[in-house]
Formats: sequence, C-alpha cells, structure tokens
Amino acid sequence: MALRIWGCVGVVAVCLLGASVWAAPPQDPAVAALAKEVATQGWVCYGARAESGSWDLFLMRPDGSQKRNITNTPDFEEAAPRFSPDGTRLLYRRLPKGATINHDRWGFQGELVISNADGSSPVAQGGEGDLSWASWSADGKQVSCLTKKSIDIVDLATRQVVRQLPRQGVYQQLYWSLDGKWFCGVANHQGASWTVVRLNADTGECNSARDYQNCTPDWHPDSKHIILSSRPAGQPGDKGQGYTQLWMVSADGVEQQLIYGQDGSHIYGGMVSPDGKYILFTRSVKDGNGSENAGAEICIMRASDAPSIGGASPDLRKVHPNTKDGPVLPLDTGWEPYWTYANPGAK
Amino acid sequence: MGRALNWRTLRVALLCLGIGVFASCSKGPASDVDDKVTTLGDTEVTAQLEEIKGEFADQTNYDYAFVMKYKVLKVHRGKLDTDTIYVGHYNPLTPRATVADERVKDVGGTLKKFRVGDIHRMALAAPMDDFFMGGIINRYFDEYKGPVYWAHWTNPGVKP
Repeated sequence: MALRIWGCVGVVAVCLLGASVWAAPPQDPAVAALAKEVATQGWVCYGARAESGSWDLFLMRPDGSQKRNITNTPDFEEAAPRFSPDGTRLLYRRLPKGATINHDRWGFQGELVISNADGSSPVAQGGEGDLSWASWSADGKQVSCLTKKSIDIVDLATRQVVRQLPRQGVYQQLYWSLDGKWFCGVANHQGASWTVVRLNADTGECNSARDYQNCTPDWHPDSKHIILSSRPAGQPGDKGQGYTQLWMVSADGVEQQLIYGQDGSHIYGGMVSPDGKYILFTRSVKDGNGSENAGAEICIMRASDAPSIGGASPDLRKVHPNTKDGPVLPLDTGWEPYWTYANPGAK
Repeated sequence: MGRALNWRTLRVALLCLGIGVFASCSKGPASDVDDKVTTLGDTEVTAQLEEIKGEFADQTNYDYAFVMKYKVLKVHRGKLDTDTIYVGHYNPLTPRATVADERVKDVGGTLKKFRVGDIHRMALAAPMDDFFMGGIINRYFDEYKGPVYWAHWTNPGVKP
C-alpha cells in the first residue's frame, strides 16, 4: 500500500516536472542575457486582448515580467499607447466595444484619451475621429494631428488649434520628433505612395526619407533618424509581395540600414528605446500584424546587433549576407508597443 | 370597334415610344443619371476614359486610389478649362456599387469595371487631397502638375 502511494506520488512528481519543463523551455543563453539586461530598463505599454476579449492596455517590464492590465475596460477597445516625452502621461485611442482596429486607419478611429502613465484618470479629449493621429510635442503641452486639409497643432489646455501646416501628402502615422523640429509620416510624395517623409515643423518643407512601400515610421531619440517598416521590391516570398522588414534611415534619406528581417514574417511597430540602445518591434506571419485579431509577437533586440536576420531566411540572406544575428527576446502578444524609461509601473 | 381599338392602341404605343426616345436622348440610359451623380462634388462630366497607365495594384490588404486620364465630352455641372482631366478612383478593382467603406464613405456608382475607351458620367471634386487620405498611385506625376479630381460617383455614360 505504502509502495503504491509512493508510486503515485512519484508519477505525479514526474508529470509536474515534465509539465514545467515543457511549459518553460530552456532559454537561449544569449536571449536570457538580453532579458536580464533590459529587465529594469523602464516599462513597455501595449495593446492586447484581455480576458474579456476586448483590447486593453498593458504594462510590462521589457523582459516580459510584471505584466498588468492598466485599463480593464471590457466596454471599450483601447490601442496605440504613446507615453509623453517625460513619461508621466499616456495618449491612446479608445474605440467602441467590438470595433475592429484597422492597421492603417487606427489613428482616425475612436476618441483620443489622455491618462496618467499608469492608465489612471483617463480623459477623452474629443469625439469619435477627433484629434486624429495625435502625437506629443516635446514639452507635452501640445499634440500634432492630421486632417484632410492640414497638420494641426493643438494646445491641450485649451484644445484650440494654435497652428496649421500643409499636410504635404501625409496620410497616416504622423509623429513629432523629440526635439520638436520635425515630423515624419507616411505620404504620397513625388508621385509615389507609401513614402516615409520628413517635414520641417516650422516651414512644412518636405523630403523623402525612404520611398516605395514603407509605413509605421517613428523617430529615433536623436531626432535625426527614423525607424520604419519597409517592403523592398524583388522579394519572391509571400506570392511575390515580399515581407515587411524593419529599417533605420537618416531623416534626410541618405543613410539606409536594415535593422531586422525574417523571411516568412512581417515586422512592424518599430520603436527605439529612449537611450537608443534597444529596438522594440512586432513580428507576425500575417501582414498587418494582427490589429484586426489579437496582435503579434512583441520583440526586443539590441540596436548594436543590427542588421540581424531571423530564421533561415534564404532569400533575405542573399541580399544581406553579412548580418550579426543577435538575440531577439520574444515577449507578450500585442500591438503597437511603446517604451519609457520613466516608472509608471511603480506602485 | 376592333379597328378603332387597334388605332387607339397604336397611338398610345407611339406616344410611349416617343416619350421613351425623348427621355433617353435627354438623360441617357437609366444608370447614367441618379441623384448622387447630379449632386455630389462640384463638377459633373461625361468623359471618355482615355488611358489607364500601368496595372492596378492587386492589394487586398491595402486601400488606394488610382489616377486615370479622361477626355471630357460634356460638362453638366461646374466649370472646366481643359478637355483633359485626371481623376482618382478609389480601389479601382472593386465595382463602384460596393467600393464605399469605413475609410471612404461618399464614393460609389453603377460602373462595374474600368476599361479604356468607355464613357463615364462622374461627379467630381478637386483637389483630390481634400477628399481622400490614403495611398495614391499617380503615374502622371512627372508629366502633369495640375489638379487631380476625386471621383465621388461613377456611372456608365453615353456619348453626348
């Protein structure tokens, strides 16, 4: 009898051990080192499906730990958080329950909400579709917005448009540089669509930073480079449409460098960490990276490991034979992650 | 009696035919004119599709507008200084009846397919950028710098 009991205990112990090993496969030491390196480097905020099924905003450490839901709103769909430059506040879009977040039009969808960086005290700044593509000014007192007629600079205290610029063909993803001197966005420029451009914030003067099939641009903290997603021509994969890769370009368009690519995956949502040392992005087999569904795999890599290629990627390696292929740290599943070195997650 | 009835029937039939011919001469086919094409935008034309430059982009995941070249045959509303115009159509591979969506609501018509040489009756407005925010494929950019019209409504047309 005692033998039988000990036998059962043994079987259960083996099963538990096996389950734990299966649930947490041993991490590549290089990936584990990267996780340890970034673990205390601020917080990442992102949209993800909550248990209720709706999109909520979450905070996590950049190693994926300490994840928590900061909106908890089953009656809304929330997406695309961006911390203010000082890390004290958050802006995002809030859509009606059940609305589908469109990967290209999300900046026109729902209402703009500004909250504290931990998600507390959310305040809607306008109605449905108002203050579209809002992006923080350097001092956090204004936002830039995109309309059919112009780029509007809106004072947040008075909610008045204090300045307007011609939009120069920009039609989505307009972002203000941290030095306040530039905008970047996706535009029709010189007859070509899906061109990432830089606009002078004073004069509206515009230049191409990278043309042909680009989107989701965002500023490097130096305000001189732009990280973006690009789908270069001539790729045989995905029925000849090719895969979207992550690139860094100088804002004048002179320097062009692959950051990360992987045959079979689309890379979007690129963001450079506040100190410029790390790159945050999303990776998905399906184009658009899942805003219409449940998001994509959020990943972190070192900027110094660029260019890197993931997986076998034979087609991409032919074009870029000398890559560093540093570790890539996979995190939670989500969409449009944003990184701050402030401490909104402190309790 | 039977003979009188036949004459009366014939006269009614001729009258109906006359009204029909008059109506078709003044308005074109039933699909040519409707309350949208006569009211949307600020310009209404009958024009011949002169050129589709290159291929349409077959992108199911991305919306876009495609600029086409037209020869204007008649101006019904508004004022044009030229008989060659450039018109942007939203998602041109989609029949006009189903092309409106969340991004672009005020577009439509009865045209099913764009073919060079066909005549269209269109409700237009310019500049296109005031009405559409999205990717625009404009293969005339290097040769033409004037206003590009936005097609609000596109029906098959008849030669004036």
